[in-house]
Amino acid sequence: MYRYDQFDAEFVAGRVAQFTDQVERRISGELSEDQFRPLRLMNGLYLQLHAYMLRVAVPYGTMNSTQLRKLAHIARTYDRGYGHFTTRQNIQFNWPRLDDVPQILSELASVEMHAIQTSGNCIRNVTTDQFAGAAADEIIDPRPVAEIIRQWSSLHPEFSFLPRKFKIAITGAPNDRAAIKFHDIGLMAQQDEQGKVGWAVYVGGGMGRTPMVAKEISPFVPHSDLLAYLESILRVYNRYGRRDNKYKARIKILVHEEGLATLREQVESEFLQVRGGVLNLPDDELSRIKAYFAPPAFKDSDARFDLAALKVSDPEFARFVLHNTNQHAQAGYTSITISLKPVGGVPGDATDAQMEVVADLAQRFSFDELRVSHEQNLVLPHVAIDDVRAVYEALNGAGLGEANVGQITDMIVCPGLDYCALANARSIPVAQEISRRFGSARRQEEIGDLKIKISGCINACGHHHAGHIGILGVEKRGTELYQITVGGNAGENAAIGNILGRGIVAEEVPDAIEQLVEIYLKARSGAEENFLGTLKRVGEAPFREALYGND
Amino acid sequence: MEIVTANELISGATVYFLTEGCWGADIDRARVFQSEENAERDRVIKRANASGFLISVERETVRVAKGRVLANRLRERIRAEGPTAPRHRPQKPDIHNAVEFSHVSL
Repeated sequence: MYRYDQFDAEFVAGRVAQFTDQVERRISGELSEDQFRPLRLMNGLYLQLHAYMLRVAVPYGTMNSTQLRKLAHIARTYDRGYGHFTTRQNIQFNWPRLDDVPQILSELASVEMHAIQTSGNCIRNVTTDQFAGAAADEIIDPRPVAEIIRQWSSLHPEFSFLPRKFKIAITGAPNDRAAIKFHDIGLMAQQDEQGKVGWAVYVGGGMGRTPMVAKEISPFVPHSDLLAYLESILRVYNRYGRRDNKYKARIKILVHEEGLATLREQVESEFLQVRGGVLNLPDDELSRIKAYFAPPAFKDSDARFDLAALKVSDPEFARFVLHNTNQHAQAGYTSITISLKPVGGVPGDATDAQMEVVADLAQRFSFDELRVSHEQNLVLPHVAIDDVRAVYEALNGAGLGEANVGQITDMIVCPGLDYCALANARSIPVAQEISRRFGSARRQEEIGDLKIKISGCINACGHHHAGHIGILGVEKRGTELYQITVGGNAGENAAIGNILGRGIVAEEVPDAIEQLVEIYLKARSGAEENFLGTLKRVGEAPFREALYGND
Repeated sequence: MEIVTANELISGATVYFLTEGCWGADIDRARVFQSEENAERDRVIKRANASGFLISVERETVRVAKGRVLANRLRERIRAEGPTAPRHRPQKPDIHNAVEFSHVSL
């Protein structure tokens, strides 16, 4: 993985020193809260309901064991012994004190981490496929490009005060595991007729109160031109994005109001001015960055799983292999997803002890590499198939062996009203009840892959718009109500779910989900037809009727 | 009826303006302002904002039942009692700041 060079180290250390001074001046009263708020937000420090919240960047979701151990140490020393992994592949600490934050940032800097640009109207942490550099279906490892985008966007002088926050996601595989079409810019690797790799560029996606699926602005941008093309899009957005209305300031609104053709024309015009200049990405620079992401020293192996035999001899382990491993590009290896969704647990949370266990496993079994997925799980990207059982047993011992990845209990869930100052309703207890309701392995196997996503307000941090079943918490006259949507999809066939009807109270949500699941199980043409397939074939009417009768 | 609430600058903890005229974490001891006491309430808010030790100063509507002060909004009840799932205690305020807070008392 990427290692800081001297510039990076000095830049991050300088930022820690700067923020340390700002905190001291705030506490002494030299800075007012109005003066200090933008400064702390630039360093990922929010004020939530109960305390400050520090959001730490995990660049494109990639970490090593030293870094995860440091996060465990921070959780143990400065917080309450746990951290919350987010849909932006970051981690949040919910209880830090303001006077501890400079020391926390200093400790993070010692392992090449920081919290810069995890807030504010700037380009946020670039996210990518959690199996980048490992997946069998990958055209190209997107991490070198993600790293180059990170360097380009960090404290970019022109783009530090955009009309609104800006999120970029990138995938090197045709199967989109990074929800790229729900980002301001989504990049998907493509090969042209000569086999040359470049990027399809999508623009104007997003969730929130105005969900939009991104539109393709260019089918193919070569590597060498990518930064220039991104710069062109950002320049057009920076110039024409609406600063008069916070709710209309994202680039998706610009795309919607101006039209894709107009935006493309403006971007192409800018691109003509910018391309071939300082933003041109020479092959030797790309090669230099690529070297940081060279594949580890895999051993030759023809090991493979005999799933049929495992199902007989050890059905629990077979279930783990079936759901929690992903096909690796290297024969004899696999990627293991560590579910942070224990039945009845808090989705995305990991204790300091669990982080230590995962760090040990990464060091012993995954070439010291770790990933965070946007679905709030952790990943050991390179595990020899012969080692999977040892990893599974260690995970089970730490309460991390849940074999539910991609299933109904593997939910994306925002912190909701239990923590978030913006939320209208709680998300976590609703998720816990659904998880308990569908917790049995047999029940989950029967249902198959089904993605539920829960948000505690219209800002949609829980990606409810993209859930096969989405749940949105709202507040009406002091009561938490939950709207149910169906038909969302975060993948390459991205879609926004439709609301089925009026909101229901929290206690009714598990029953409602049960009813939707029952309709699906009865209506599906066979076990191979997933929820979205059935929904597409039979329409929403039977699902709506199941919840609301003939209202 | 309203109370005045804020977060401590350093700990971030939720605190309330108390009947004793200082700030603390126990909502049941919060000073409840009647509508005819709006001017007094606003003075508390103004002084709290000027104190330098409190941020996010807000007023919240409440009701009083059996000696307890109950916030009308669920958000504020969660803020007073901590996250519900799993249950966590609220952040502990800095006790030593009680003295400094006294200068915002009425």
